[in-house]
Amino acid sequence: MEKNNIVEELKKREEEAREIRRKQADWNYINNQPTKLKLALIHYIETGDLYVSAKIAGITVEEFNEQRIKARIPHVN
Amino acid sequence: MSTNAIADTSFLIDWAKYSKRDLLFKIFDTVWLPEAVLNELKSENTVTWVVENLSRGRMALFPELTYYREEALRLMELSSKYPVRRLDYPEAYCIAVASDRGYIVLSENGAAYTAQFLYARAKVWRALEVLLELAIRNLISKEEVYKYEEETLHSFPRKDLERIGL
Repeated sequence: MEKNNIVEELKKREEEAREIRRKQADWNYINNQPTKLKLALIHYIETGDLYVSAKIAGITVEEFNEQRIKARIPHVN
Repeated sequence: MSTNAIADTSFLIDWAKYSKRDLLFKIFDTVWLPEAVLNELKSENTVTWVVENLSRGRMALFPELTYYREEALRLMELSSKYPVRRLDYPEAYCIAVASDRGYIVLSENGAAYTAQFLYARAKVWRALEVLLELAIRNLISKEEVYKYEEETLHSFPRKDLERIGL
């Protein structure tokens, strides 16, 4: 497969995963969290990036992952 | 196929929830963990599993080395040239080590998965590829993927499951 086609397919995968995260997230839970955690959860929904999201929230990756589960955001990969 | 793997936090925290997690060592003799991974683990379940396997010698700590740190930064810069998610340092470090030493990267990070198709030499396996390898070796059935999803609350893209006949 050509590199351009690969990029397009990967972009499509990312967009599909983002949509699933947006749809399934518990926005009521997210909006009631302290600011840094709320922003970190939203960053995760938009990017799927566990590491940076944890850094934004100021907690470990595994602690952030537990918050992700509480917020019903699926880990899609 | 290499019998050495290097795992990042995103893989470990999900895989440790799986009831058949020790099957990982039917594929890999040694699963290396970058030292920084230990700081990112928190739950008793994951830490216990990791420490048990460090003690048994099935896991080992991979030191932070200047050469791989530089290579990881180069990979991060390279990743930013593509219009897909860029690599973070922990995954870039795993890919740098794996590319040089022939290991397989174990990661659930989307950017790491993407990297293998665009600019990285290393193979990157998600839990899905590990489960598939276990199924090929007749250690589990392919349907075990659904059990993994249920136990770990991890979702694989439906298209990927269709590709492997599920």
